[in-house]
Amino acid sequence: MRRRADSLAPLTAVQPQPAWPAALRGLLADNRLAVLVLFLPPALLLFTLFVVLPIGEAAWYSGFNWNGFGRPTNWIGFDNYRFVLQTRAFWLALRNNGLIIVVSLLIQLPLALALALMLAERFRGAVALRMLFFLPYILAEIATGLIFSFVYDGDYGLVASIWRLFGAETPHLLASTDTAMLAVLIVIVWKYFGFHMMLFIAALQGMDRSLIEAARVDGATRAQLLRHVVIPWLYPTIRLSVFFAIVGSLQLFDLVMPLTRGGPADSSNTLVSFLYNNGISRMRVGYGSAVGVILFVICVSFAFTYQRWFLRDE
Amino acid sequence: MSDIDTIRPPFDPAVLYKTLFLAVVAVLVLVPLLATVLGGFKSLGELRINPFGLPQHWEWSNYADILFSQRYWQLLRNSLIISALTVTLTLITASMAAFTFAHVTFYGSSMLLSYLTLGLLFPAATAVLPLFIKVRDLGLLDTYFGVALPQVAFSLAMSVLLLRRFFKDLPPELLEAALMDGCSYINFFRYVTLPLSRPILATVGTITFVHSWNAYLLPLVMLNSDALYPWPLGVMVYQGEYSSEWHLILAFITLTILPTIILFIFAQKHIVAGLTAGAVKG
Amino acid sequence: MRWLDRLGLAVATLWLALGAANADTTVKWLHIEANPAQVKIWEEVARSYEAAHPGTRIEMQFLENEAYKAKLPTILQSKDRPNIIYSWAGGVLKSQIEAGVLEDITDQIKGYSDSLTPAALAAFSRDGRIYGLPTALSQVGFLYNKELMAKAKVDAAGIKTWDDLLAAVKTLKAAGVTPIVAGGADKWPLHFYWTHLAVRIGGKAAFDAALRGENGGFAGETFQKSGELFKQLVDLQPFQNGFLGFKNPQAVGYFGDGKAAMTLAISTVYHLQRALAADKKGLAEDQIGWFDFPMVPGGKGEPSDTLGGITGWLVTKGSPKETVDFLKFFVSKDVQTRLAAGNFIIPVVKGADAGLNNAFMKQIAANLSKSRYHQNFYDQSLGPSVGRVVNDVTAEIAGGSMAPKDAAEAIEAAWKQGN
Repeated sequence: MRRRADSLAPLTAVQPQPAWPAALRGLLADNRLAVLVLFLPPALLLFTLFVVLPIGEAAWYSGFNWNGFGRPTNWIGFDNYRFVLQTRAFWLALRNNGLIIVVSLLIQLPLALALALMLAERFRGAVALRMLFFLPYILAEIATGLIFSFVYDGDYGLVASIWRLFGAETPHLLASTDTAMLAVLIVIVWKYFGFHMMLFIAALQGMDRSLIEAARVDGATRAQLLRHVVIPWLYPTIRLSVFFAIVGSLQLFDLVMPLTRGGPADSSNTLVSFLYNNGISRMRVGYGSAVGVILFVICVSFAFTYQRWFLRDE
Repeated sequence: MSDIDTIRPPFDPAVLYKTLFLAVVAVLVLVPLLATVLGGFKSLGELRINPFGLPQHWEWSNYADILFSQRYWQLLRNSLIISALTVTLTLITASMAAFTFAHVTFYGSSMLLSYLTLGLLFPAATAVLPLFIKVRDLGLLDTYFGVALPQVAFSLAMSVLLLRRFFKDLPPELLEAALMDGCSYINFFRYVTLPLSRPILATVGTITFVHSWNAYLLPLVMLNSDALYPWPLGVMVYQGEYSSEWHLILAFITLTILPTIILFIFAQKHIVAGLTAGAVKG
Repeated sequence: MRWLDRLGLAVATLWLALGAANADTTVKWLHIEANPAQVKIWEEVARSYEAAHPGTRIEMQFLENEAYKAKLPTILQSKDRPNIIYSWAGGVLKSQIEAGVLEDITDQIKGYSDSLTPAALAAFSRDGRIYGLPTALSQVGFLYNKELMAKAKVDAAGIKTWDDLLAAVKTLKAAGVTPIVAGGADKWPLHFYWTHLAVRIGGKAAFDAALRGENGGFAGETFQKSGELFKQLVDLQPFQNGFLGFKNPQAVGYFGDGKAAMTLAISTVYHLQRALAADKKGLAEDQIGWFDFPMVPGGKGEPSDTLGGITGWLVTKGSPKETVDFLKFFVSKDVQTRLAAGNFIIPVVKGADAGLNNAFMKQIAANLSKSRYHQNFYDQSLGPSVGRVVNDVTAEIAGGSMAPKDAAEAIEAAWKQGN
């Protein structure tokens, strides 16, 4: 495909640039300039205005103590970063993001992989099951969070009534600093495993059948097949799935709000919910921007490292 | 891999384990959803003693009251407006940019493309405070556009990449022939590229729509009057108001996720392909 | 691409339809009142104002308390902001004034302002200018369920000191009664304990000194001790199961359902519990008792010192002039007497307290008039971000994840950071 696209090259002005007026005339003749002038700016403008500039401004605002009204005037240098790093809740949030990644890798990914291997085969109900498992992924995080705040509710919830069957005192999972994050993690797995499963299924369906045939002729067992043929085939997808799990963890917010709002006592904040609770809802623009910049640095350095080390072939 | 199974003996404990495992996962996925739907049909008292089973007495009024309330329809309308704006603007701006990147070679083209790709690296949340200030300064706070425009901006990176790849893969002979016939780039884009690109436009549209329909953070920060709230904000407000009256909250949740589920049932192939393909190719 | 054209047209049409403004003056009034009985009276007042002033519309908007506090900073930045907003005065009001988002209404209420209790009006003034109208006073103290207290044989009237309270909690627990219900998820219901302890231990002098940064500020002895005493209570596990997950309305409902013996609450909960109870009836008036927050032996605070709110309404910048006019109509002797008669508020308009017809409300009104040091809620008086830190750390003490000393230091650190 690449090669075919390259054959377009002679058409699209790669010729040495002549003097400006002539070039202008040439461009207008086949409308290329018109395309450049009309087609690019809307996207570039929107992107610059709402994506790139705010990031730059975050760096600028993070030097101020500013409540968002008028213009920032009270320059305090790097104090906001110091304040952020001194906040216990920030480190808790960071730890929680780490936990989410760990659970994604150790529980969600193997689960998704196992299910994908089972459901990539054709049998009655396989497609229905795939769809069922994918369903949580397309439900809004807010709805999922609310559904599970019902599931966990200490008075009316499903968990509570199971406990009651055994005559035990009903737990309020979301209300204890010990269990709130655990409860959130379970919901994360519930919501996202289907997405990762679909990634794997898509990859498995693109698998070269002759590889399996060949291995089988060589007398490979099922386990050997899996270890030496199927899993290696899936490596790129696994790396991709890991990438999404990590990026997803770094932006997790919608799910936490209906469940715990980051509580109790900040025990289940993620970086973004910490940013919301301590920056936005208090309109501490400087402080919140500092958190944003830290998050940005984490995201970008992760993305670059990961791309360099693991996604080279992509 | 079904081939592997055929050579196995018929009474394989592995098959049993597998079926059991799938059944357990299916139950774990289904139960919270079913309990939510059924819970909306119960009274609060019954919910407490019978959260799992079918309602002994079906309280149709829980659902009916919401369906006949202006509030519910207003939320859906707002969500629809915001999502439609976002999808429309994303498709227009992204396809134009992608077309340029695919077919017009110019100085700085690859640099600009990498510039756009930056958008894939971090979530909107990182810069949400400056974004809020920006939207305020533009006078867009508390408007549909205040939510839609940033959403478009953040969906551009992925959309442009997907569309550009597709446009490049279209047979180049088409463009050659068209240009030969004196067709302009713009007309080629409108009359050839776009009609041929329906599948990818649908994919990009689906991704953007689902994200916008489900979005919470941006509307939360940008919208103040509940007359403009999309449903995720509305359902949170509803829950805040009825705090412990779970039967009503469950009915409300069910009704608000209903459009998503209906859409999913009717367009499941498209949605799955869109969301996973978008991820893989991105 | 005809569908594109059509879509564009549709969007444009929609936009025009939405932009169609109405010609009347609309006063947007954002409130947080969860008690439908009270909202009903407000609505009647609004409708009667509209009837008397054709062309003016009063539009009521509701946000739940916690959502309101989280949303207010952004709401105020919108050009479409509501005209009347709810306020607890204090440092939050101060920062709003400094931000220039409020209307100076001094001149518009000249003459009328004399009808208000001076102390209440003072809470909404700064440098001699008035930015809002007070509407009600409240006190924080213990409400208790007489039946449950009797069941555990606890004499509520005998709870005079902090140790009495701890003893009562133990007795209640032993009798199998949940001693106290608290809405820990919202955090501020927990900050009442810490704050009121500070009021009892240090009195007005300690608070003023802390504001000036003396005696170690908020990390000083008074505030550390408040945390330690609060910890003593927390260690007895006095709260309902899962209290850190309860939002305040749920907690109030829990009390109204008769499931806990006590709650440390704002006096308005006396009525609010009925609306939030599961059966919408709650506890009858003769089932509820009240005792003031217990004293701390050796504390410098006076028994008459009170913690509570002075709440009112602010007018945002650029509001139509009808806004103040309506507020004057709303905070009038007539309406206040009516609200007092419904026992919803301790009124701020002079003479309106004659409307109070219920022993409980009369007692609160008497407490407040006797009080020489009425401490506004810390989370409001210390300003938007320091106040939130007070809430954060008290919730952490209650959750057992922070030591009292660290909590006090965290507040002082926030105070020094300012804003």
